[in-house]
Amino acid sequence: MLIKVPSVANLGLETIKVDIEINLANRGLPGFEIVGLPDKAVDESKERVRTAITSCGIDFPAKKITVNMAPADVPKEGSLYDLPIAVGILSSVLEFPVPDKSLFLGELSFDGGLRHTKGAFLMALFAKEFGFKNLFVPKDSANEAAAIKGIKVYPVENLTQISRHLQKQDEINPVSYKQVSQSAPAPAEFDMKEVLGQEQAKRAMEIAAAGGHNIIMIGSPGSGKTMLARALPGILPPLNEIESLEVTKIYSASGGIPPGGSLISSRQFRAPHHTASLVGLVGGGSKPHPGEISLAHRGVLFLDEFNEFPRQIMEAMRQPLEDGYLAISRSKQRVIYPADFMLVASANPCPCGYAMHPKKNCICNPNQIAKYQKRISGPILDRIDLHISVMPVDTAEFEDNQKNSEFLEASQIIKQRVVLARQKQEKRFKNETIHSNSQMKNSHIKKYCKLSKDVEEILRQASLKFQLSARSYMKMIKVARTIADLDGAEEITISHMAEALQYKPKNYELA
Amino acid sequence: MSLHNEIGKIGENFAKEFLKKQGYRIIEQNYKTKYAEIDLIAEKSAGFFGKKELVFIEVRTKIGENFGSPEDTLNKSKLRKVMQNALAYSAFKKWRGPSRIDAICIVLKADCTISRLTHHENIIGS
Repeated sequence: MLIKVPSVANLGLETIKVDIEINLANRGLPGFEIVGLPDKAVDESKERVRTAITSCGIDFPAKKITVNMAPADVPKEGSLYDLPIAVGILSSVLEFPVPDKSLFLGELSFDGGLRHTKGAFLMALFAKEFGFKNLFVPKDSANEAAAIKGIKVYPVENLTQISRHLQKQDEINPVSYKQVSQSAPAPAEFDMKEVLGQEQAKRAMEIAAAGGHNIIMIGSPGSGKTMLARALPGILPPLNEIESLEVTKIYSASGGIPPGGSLISSRQFRAPHHTASLVGLVGGGSKPHPGEISLAHRGVLFLDEFNEFPRQIMEAMRQPLEDGYLAISRSKQRVIYPADFMLVASANPCPCGYAMHPKKNCICNPNQIAKYQKRISGPILDRIDLHISVMPVDTAEFEDNQKNSEFLEASQIIKQRVVLARQKQEKRFKNETIHSNSQMKNSHIKKYCKLSKDVEEILRQASLKFQLSARSYMKMIKVARTIADLDGAEEITISHMAEALQYKPKNYELA
Repeated sequence: MSLHNEIGKIGENFAKEFLKKQGYRIIEQNYKTKYAEIDLIAEKSAGFFGKKELVFIEVRTKIGENFGSPEDTLNKSKLRKVMQNALAYSAFKKWRGPSRIDAICIVLKADCTISRLTHHENIIGS
């Protein structure tokens, strides 16, 4: 007896259809075999399916069962094939037809229940594109799949329930999408008003958040670099609809959506430690997985102690920083992961950390400092739009500042300005594929950032004096555009450009 | 004869009766090769004018299934032994036609009547 149950395989962010063919033969010793390049997790589904079916009070058929997963040359991985295999076997035992235009996905537990399984969102996208009407997914993953309109998503709790549904004895009601509280913006660790002083750095953070610009902070230990970065999520604008879909895809593929979760609507803040491996940070592996830079897509990648990161990792980020995606080629598979993130880096100026300190003496010799600063390569620094030095806060003023902290701007207020600026950008780029100023290519700059004669003259003089590279030159225009957006101005004026030039790449003059 | 051998003997006789009813002709019972014993060897015509097919049958008998089913006792090494025996017999008799290996698994009740008899055809290959 031959049964066919359709399911899917997720290769990176691409989804292909996989037909699960199940043959129950009368000849031969009873057994259970899976073919079609299963990995260990797929192969072990034999035991889960067998036990789950027995747990539901159904006798496991004493026949020679062979499962084929077509196409046979694509490696199958993960636990999502438990449900389709079990449904196939049950349809032969209980004699019900496998419904048309339906896809199945889910991991079984021994008691016959279904567990949250990654990839439900990707399957729903695939179903919509290729005209599948019904999706059977675990209850915990149903909300994730239901975010896609126009298909019926059946939340399955256990095997008994689905077999009764397919025998038309009981009905499972399809779920509709529910906004979940976890997709509300994650609270930041700090509020901007808790950061005392550092007005220039806060302003730079605001610009970076508004335009999605990369930013690097250099300063002595304890001056508040990490605190500033940790306060950043509080002023980030929410994801728009398209961005939200992109981010949810990546998280669904990597299993980052919690049970019951759904669309991700807040920007992600990723802060990997500097001992992270190259593959962990950038992505890869023999079966390519998304790295931290892809998980930070449309969000923030915060690299604290930037010059402690291995050279190789920093250089590997050069291309995604420019292109916004990463193409991973391995012998078995080629995958493209989007990686359009906002890089926030912080570093000390020298090994002892006090090279820029106004009062404390630096104990490093010039050789050491040069060597330390050389760890961050020029090409990387050139790709960072905003460079700021974070000066230590004078502890004498600290007391006064603390009293005045209620008069400082809260993250909420800054966020409102950022959101307004971002809305302006989205309106501007509504006919383009980009969303923010930092993503502008040269053609966009020509089109949207017309500079008046005076502004161009300032920029020309600055680039001559400071030896700005062609890329930095363009970046300065982009930053000026964001500052103008924050200001609510249509044209870039001299004051906007002058402010942008403050954030130019600089050599850290030693105090 | 110890108890498990006697149970085996009872099972083999049940299997023999079963096969005869199914239209098999029993050729040998407990045929000894230099490796081990073949429980039953039978032959059956496949199709109306079909060639005769030689069938080697391994009989497994258990009283009750509380300590595992008879199918469970057919592990890899047992199957290999059965196959070697079958090949040895075929070579010795210079058999050129088709042949296959079957298993008959019998579960007996405490009073030595059959509670289940399953015939698994062609247990090695396909």
